[in-house]
Amino acid sequence: MLLSIALLLPWVAGAVLLIANGRNRAVAWLAVSTLVATLVVLAFLAAEVYGNGNVRVVTGHWPEGIGIVLEADPLGVTFALLSVLVVTAAAAYESVGGVRTRTFPGLVVILAAGLNGLFVTADIFSFYVFFELAMTASYALSAYGGKRRQLRAALVFTAVNLLGSFIFVFSVAGAYRVTGTLAMEQIAERMLEVNPNAVLLIATGFFIAFSVKLGLFPFHFWLPTVYAGARPSVAAILSGAVANIGAYGLLRFGAGLFPQQLEQAGLALIILGAVSILYGGVLAVSRGDVAEMLAYSAIGQVGYVLVALGVAGPVGLVTAVLYSVVNSLNKALLFLASGVRGALVAGAFAIGSLSVAGVPPAAGFVGKLELFRTGILADSTALIVLLVAGSALSLVYMFQVYQRCFWRADPAKAKASPLPQRLIAAGLAVLVLAGALWPEPLLALSGQAVESLTSSSPGAS
Amino acid sequence: MIIAFALATAVLFGSGAYLLLKRDLVRMVAGIMLISQAAVLTIIASSLNRGQAVIHVGPDDDPSDPLPQALALTALVIGLATVALLLAMVHRVVVVFRTSEQDALAATEAEVEARLERKRQADREEVEGVEGAKEDDAEAIEHEELGRVR
Repeated sequence: MLLSIALLLPWVAGAVLLIANGRNRAVAWLAVSTLVATLVVLAFLAAEVYGNGNVRVVTGHWPEGIGIVLEADPLGVTFALLSVLVVTAAAAYESVGGVRTRTFPGLVVILAAGLNGLFVTADIFSFYVFFELAMTASYALSAYGGKRRQLRAALVFTAVNLLGSFIFVFSVAGAYRVTGTLAMEQIAERMLEVNPNAVLLIATGFFIAFSVKLGLFPFHFWLPTVYAGARPSVAAILSGAVANIGAYGLLRFGAGLFPQQLEQAGLALIILGAVSILYGGVLAVSRGDVAEMLAYSAIGQVGYVLVALGVAGPVGLVTAVLYSVVNSLNKALLFLASGVRGALVAGAFAIGSLSVAGVPPAAGFVGKLELFRTGILADSTALIVLLVAGSALSLVYMFQVYQRCFWRADPAKAKASPLPQRLIAAGLAVLVLAGALWPEPLLALSGQAVESLTSSSPGAS
Repeated sequence: MIIAFALATAVLFGSGAYLLLKRDLVRMVAGIMLISQAAVLTIIASSLNRGQAVIHVGPDDDPSDPLPQALALTALVIGLATVALLLAMVHRVVVVFRTSEQDALAATEAEVEARLERKRQADREEVEGVEGAKEDDAEAIEHEELGRVR
């Protein structure tokens, strides 16, 4: 019941809001309150899932095995909660400042519906449908603002990600061909008996599709233009919520459906991740513009997730989940904070910066700690050196920009942004701080999420 | 039959990828369309393991697997919607930039980059006053350009 409400509420409300004129303040706040309501429903759903196990719904009262199955497991609800939280913060931020186009409120709500759907579905084709729903909303959102840079950003974003989506469809078709089913559980079971070469090809297709979403190194080329060109709230949504699709997809499909292929490709993933970390870090240092620096930093940060995924094993996967969660909060906080001026903002930005670099009073520290643990467990000096170098680079680029932006008296910018906007940034910062001061729930959540993931896949060793 | 589908998909995907790399935006959209069709063909091909098409099935005939056909329909609809969105975006770009060439778009990016670099240079040389005046350069260019278009 809760699961259906979490899906239907934003879906229906989004469709209605698309018709309304979003420039109207009431409409914008209606969208925000829908998102908050969805967030509350998701929180109840999460409590249910964490307390009593997975919630399962077969759509349309079809018998099991025929209807599409929606299944909320700890991994799915964690990502859904996180993404809707980020979308809500960004929507509230934009509503305070005054929405500029009529479609914005409707689109963010539809985006939330798509994200919720893809995080709870247990069927790869409906995953694609929800994924396309979320992506289509974000294509339209990336043009928000309607100026030249945003238009160019939207065009690049749409073209590249559509290509990624179609590669996903190719892999879905392949998976159906070799297993004769679309349900994730059955695919995972039947993949074990399929010709390994075919499975590897299919798994690679999925990997490319999700890497494009996530902006990993060889597929990152679209990312700087888009994140730097989009407006701060949209950049926060793209990097804090939409990029979660990539991280979730890599975890769900990599560890859930193709555990053997993940193991085989471990080294390749670690190398790609390492290149991402260094490339993102070095280029971010060379950028002076806040948005552009954050864009390159995003490329570097997802590298850590990939490295953790490459190491695999329970510890690696828990780290990957934890780091994706922390990273998405960081990015949302930093992008939102980069768009406002005034008291509180510098502090919020500093906390975000510390979190990206992995310095103690911020949640990033917990993530980095787990990463180092992974590196030690993997028994690899090179990996630990890489992690240290990556963290040092992030400290340099974050504080270089921090200094440029906040440590100078700037007469032209003395006008402070509205207080609620600053409070939203500060609220996210408090969340990031809380994650570090009381990391136990975060760790337990990630642990349970990974447990649900590996216990469902029969091939896991 | 499978080989025919494989060849058709390969040709479609290849032509699509070629068009995607073209400078002209309309061709780029056409490329994406071709690739989406290649994906639909692959879905249909994934059902070619049994039976006849369901257009005309006798009582004794073995009908083909209907699921991929439903998937193909869904994929077609999604492809249509996304391509329509992309075309709308290209149209907007043509209106704003007055060109459908990628180069012109890239030039805007280069312009923003150059202004940022100048700002940084001024910053290094500690030129007073330049900072404040040029703070929101990217926005300023856009306002200027938009004004001209309108």
